[in-house]
Amino acid sequence: MNAPRSLHRGRRPGRRPGSLRPATAMIAAALCLGLALAAAAVGAPRAAAASSGSTLRVEADTAFSTFNPFTAYFDADLNVIASIYPTLTLVNAQSHTAPYLASKWTVSPDKLTWTFTIRSGLKWTDGKPIRASDAAWTLNLIMHNSAAGTANGSLVADFATVTAPNATTLVITTKQPAANMLYVVNNLPIVPQHIWASKVSQLASFKNMTFPVVGYGPWVATGYVPNQYATMTANQNFFLGAPKYKTLIMQYFTNGDAAVTALRSGQIGEIDDLTATQFEALKHSKNITLYPSVSNAWTAIELNPGAQTKSGQHFGNGNPALRDPRVRDAIELAIKKPELVSKIWDGLAVTGSTYLPPAFPQWRWTPPAAQQLSYNPAKANQILTAAGYKMGSNGVRTDPSTHKPLILRLGIHSDETSDAQMAPYLQEWLKAIGIQVTVQSMSFTQLNTDLPKGDWDILSDTWSTGPDPTYLLSIQTCADLPANASTAGNTDAFFCNPSFDKLYAQQATEFGQAQRARTIDQMQQILYQNAVDIVLYYPDNLGAVRSSAVKDFFYGKPDAQDFYPQQYVFLDWQSAAPLSSGGGSSSTVVLWVVIAIVVVAALAVAALLLRRRATAGERE
Amino acid sequence: MSASSAPLSAQGLSALEAPPSGGAASGGPSGGSSGGRDFARYLVRKLAAALVSFAVLLVVGFTIFSLMPADPVETLTRGRPTSPKQVAFLIKQLGLNQPVWERFGHFVVSTLEGHLGYSWQFQTPVATLIAQRLWPTLLLMGSSTVVSVVLGLWLGIHSGWRPGSHLDRVSTGSAITLWSVPTFWLGIILLVLFSTGFGPIPALFPAGGMSTPGTAGGLTPAHILDVLRHLVLPSLTLVLVVFAQYQMIMRSSMIDELGNPYLLTARAKGLRDIEVRNRHAVPNALLPSVTLVFLQVGTMISGAITVETVYSWPGLGYLTYQALQIPDLPLLEGTFIIFAASVIVFNLLADLFYRYLDPRVRRA
Repeated sequence: MNAPRSLHRGRRPGRRPGSLRPATAMIAAALCLGLALAAAAVGAPRAAAASSGSTLRVEADTAFSTFNPFTAYFDADLNVIASIYPTLTLVNAQSHTAPYLASKWTVSPDKLTWTFTIRSGLKWTDGKPIRASDAAWTLNLIMHNSAAGTANGSLVADFATVTAPNATTLVITTKQPAANMLYVVNNLPIVPQHIWASKVSQLASFKNMTFPVVGYGPWVATGYVPNQYATMTANQNFFLGAPKYKTLIMQYFTNGDAAVTALRSGQIGEIDDLTATQFEALKHSKNITLYPSVSNAWTAIELNPGAQTKSGQHFGNGNPALRDPRVRDAIELAIKKPELVSKIWDGLAVTGSTYLPPAFPQWRWTPPAAQQLSYNPAKANQILTAAGYKMGSNGVRTDPSTHKPLILRLGIHSDETSDAQMAPYLQEWLKAIGIQVTVQSMSFTQLNTDLPKGDWDILSDTWSTGPDPTYLLSIQTCADLPANASTAGNTDAFFCNPSFDKLYAQQATEFGQAQRARTIDQMQQILYQNAVDIVLYYPDNLGAVRSSAVKDFFYGKPDAQDFYPQQYVFLDWQSAAPLSSGGGSSSTVVLWVVIAIVVVAALAVAALLLRRRATAGERE
Repeated sequence: MSASSAPLSAQGLSALEAPPSGGAASGGPSGGSSGGRDFARYLVRKLAAALVSFAVLLVVGFTIFSLMPADPVETLTRGRPTSPKQVAFLIKQLGLNQPVWERFGHFVVSTLEGHLGYSWQFQTPVATLIAQRLWPTLLLMGSSTVVSVVLGLWLGIHSGWRPGSHLDRVSTGSAITLWSVPTFWLGIILLVLFSTGFGPIPALFPAGGMSTPGTAGGLTPAHILDVLRHLVLPSLTLVLVVFAQYQMIMRSSMIDELGNPYLLTARAKGLRDIEVRNRHAVPNALLPSVTLVFLQVGTMISGAITVETVYSWPGLGYLTYQALQIPDLPLLEGTFIIFAASVIVFNLLADLFYRYLDPRVRRA
């Protein structure tokens, strides 16, 4: 190894005839690099300009898949669709339904016939008039065509007929009274028949990405770059007034931290669904205003009360101890929910209690003090001991029925940081009442696959809802249990209670808000007492806006706890307006030029030094 | 890897006078029509092996993904009101009601036809999705691979030629440090530094995507520059993490060559040090690196999932990640076939290139 070194040590690299001197090459490289940097500097302001002025750039919630309203499932697609197609009603800033395509409506005395008056004078973006027949055609298509019902088929399940006796009248008859009809039609986009009639045969695969998309809404879809962003332009003829921005761009970031970075540097103007850590990190950022809004979601652990089919056949390998409501109560009493809020969410969540989240006060129910299952491990131990679950010498209780130690599996989402943070707390708290917990970290897919099989004891779960709680309540009914052990029902956690089902059917037909709310209160009470879903917390919706460039993005005023009301992108994007400032591009250009000069100079110096060294070598 | 192990005798010296490397200029092929026949036989043998590998891949790929626990309908519809009728329609539409053998038949046919099936979540032929993502991946992986190879080999050659030198110590230390850094972590750090700005330094590069939303596309200079600006950070992240493997292998190979007598002969003939290195040592030391380069190029189109995720780069790596989330089995199977086929093709090319590069392979 040493010999060759000694041999070549005295020799300096020479230059072959015709080859480029290293110094010359380096100077050439420096010039090329300098030119490239200078060119980039020229290109920079062009890019920066896109984020200012009349273009609002926001983060898309998910990747884009299709703009076909009949088949779209993902949030980003649904947000675009809600912006470019009308619905009969809209949800206003107070979370109540309000007129949109329908200017008014009446319901028959038997509550089975709804007559909507379609706003006259509105036109699709291609200039053709919007008629009631467009709405009737769309709804009938969803009712009778399986492909058209892919995404929204269940919403029209109770529709009997939909007709348009004239250009401004739409009549919907239902099989049974539907108290939530105005919310249901809010989720059913209406499309122009003259455009879509020719698409029916290919509906399942039609992506509706030929631009501009003919529709009606505050925006017109005008472009899509696959897997990156969608572009919409303001509809100047929107009846509520054109949006303040001329262009809206929804950009998808595969990584939340990258989106936060983009907000900080002004590449996007708004972001939501921040984590508590990101929210805290943005607190001291200049030009950024934070908007925590009241939660419309909860995070819970669901306890397997015994997986069963609609016919009552049990299946799965869930721990039978969890069928005992006393065990479930004890578990809820053992959990210190406020500590989860402070430790995991830095206080940016509301301590969990009842089933419907706090965003919609009309459905909010608080359990009476005597029924509350607040943190009380002594009482939990007392309940378990009284129920015959004897504490073993190893600190683990024994199930009196199976004579097996009380060991439960806790399934958490491997891709949810808060789940990973929560698990050790639950382990510790349940250990204190003699229940051993083994944590199983699973992908979202794996967890969803295991859930309908019933092969689980405790699962972490999250749900959100709109202002109509019908769907969130429906997943707790016996009707949503699977038909047999090999098919998945819509059930959340195999809960089944005939009294709950009776109330569910009752609230669906109660048209008075107060009356319906009272029924739903009773339903929440049943869920709370059965402790199948133990709601741990309601994480706040954490949003942020680049307030140096965008104003009036979030609407409403914060409450006493500084929470804004529930926000809807339809209204956010409509109300947002540009501010004149928000530049910074010129300083970036200057910096690029400076960097280019420095790099060129550094490489030139290096080249000169190399040349001197080479010459010295030759002199030796 | 040394080209010759002959002792330094008169006979050996004579033998060593021939250029020891297997470059194109040296040691001509075994010549004439017999050489042509040899090559044809060799080519047929390698092609047959590649075809067998591909057939095995079809079976393995389908089996692996069929065994995955998956309920795509549940994943797609979770959180949305869904009636049994809708579920039944989706099951039928996605082909989930078909027996496994029938799905395998569809899979083989769609692969041979080239459209690779139909994505469940994107409702688009898999081949179309792959084609959309191929260019971004080739651009990212191609640029980073070229820079990594050039940088890694240059550093490997120079540090291996003079082990223990200042350049060797600094470059080896840096390379090993960067090689051991988690890619996503380095990506996030570069992202925070250069996309947010720090101190008086403003943001220099975009935080994600492949182009600035709202700007015109096409082959205009402005768009090309825009794409290059978006390319800098993801490419830099990959280069910093990857170049070490080329450097370390090249360095090791170079050090292996240092003690060989043919170098002594070359020097004895009066060749300058740089000529001894470049014309004799480097070609012999290059073979392991060539293997690595071809392996790397073969896996190139699978993209870099972590880098593409950090920088929202719309490539094939991230497409695979999206497919896993559902899981979108046709998409997973399609990407698997393309990735694996790419490795097979580049291995085949490497085998053929070896014949050109190393006379011993021709003689084998």
